[in-house]
Amino acid sequence: MSCKEWEERVALHVGGDLPAEIASAVERHLAGCSGCQVLWSGLRESLELLQAAHAEPLPPAAYTAVRARVLAELSMRRQPWWRWAAGLAAAALLLLVALAVRPLPKVEPLPPLALAVPPAPSVRAMAIPAPPRPKPRPHLAAAPRQPLLVRLVTNDPNVVIYWIAD
Amino acid sequence: MTLAAAAMADAAESSQEYLGLIEAAKAGDLAAFEHLMRRHERLVLMTAYRLLGSLPDAQDVSQEVFLRLYRNLGKVESTGSLSAWLYRVTSNACHDARRRKRPESPVEFAEDLRDTVADPHQAAAEAERRRVLSMSLRRLPPKERDALVLRDLEGLSTEEVARALGTSTATVRSQVSKARVKVREFVERYFRSR
Repeated sequence: MSCKEWEERVALHVGGDLPAEIASAVERHLAGCSGCQVLWSGLRESLELLQAAHAEPLPPAAYTAVRARVLAELSMRRQPWWRWAAGLAAAALLLLVALAVRPLPKVEPLPPLALAVPPAPSVRAMAIPAPPRPKPRPHLAAAPRQPLLVRLVTNDPNVVIYWIAD
Repeated sequence: MTLAAAAMADAAESSQEYLGLIEAAKAGDLAAFEHLMRRHERLVLMTAYRLLGSLPDAQDVSQEVFLRLYRNLGKVESTGSLSAWLYRVTSNACHDARRRKRPESPVEFAEDLRDTVADPHQAAAEAERRRVLSMSLRRLPPKERDALVLRDLEGLSTEEVARALGTSTATVRSQVSKARVKVREFVERYFRSR
């Protein structure tokens, strides 16, 4: 039997999982096999480390939290539907009453707006299509006709364009 | 005394009282159910924590297990069967939780290890060793991990582990021995690389 074949038995023997007669056979093999002795001590050490690392208890709060969550869920499930409905209705009613009797908050007057007037757009010479001539409408009363005067201001204060339309 | 032994001894000491608690809980007495939870919460939460390696995940699983217990109180016949039932349900719930989460891959694990090795300013040596051992558990195939945790950390006998996991004692022995060898190889490789 090779050492590889002893491996499973040695690993079980470390945890005391073998019946007495097989355990004795493992002991006899270990006495004469340095390779399996190394395996045995390594297995024992890692098992002890594993157990020591997991020996630390969890904080009590961890248990309390689980208990509280379970009991809260069970309490919720046990309540009949109409108790839920009644509770919701009462909460809604309370909210409405609270909103109704609550004094309105005093509204502060808004500060005056400071208007920022952007500069006039620059005007470039461009061809403006002539607007369609309106149909002549009947004059209800004779009124003196005034020419339409359009004043275009450019970025250059020395250049002002006047457009007079009749 | 192991957790399992403590739970069993507790239950055996006052089995009449214990069965009374189960009966009261079955009848809807939440205070009685809370007592039952207190008796078994260490078994459930610690097992889940050892299997999952994360306290929040273990708490979620514990909550699920106790809610399942409440729904299945009618099936609990004796104190001994309740512990075995809880181990089995906890182990299954941990499997489900792991499936729901991202699977652990060897690559992810290797990254964990590299980070640990690369960081010379890791906190205390004890904390680091604990982390390494926790990683060695996480790296095991789920069935081997379950068998090792229940046998070597919870202290159940091979027969109890087999009953809790719904398998044979021969399978448990095989899983436990393979898991022990893998943990040893991992621990030795890690500490040799330091």
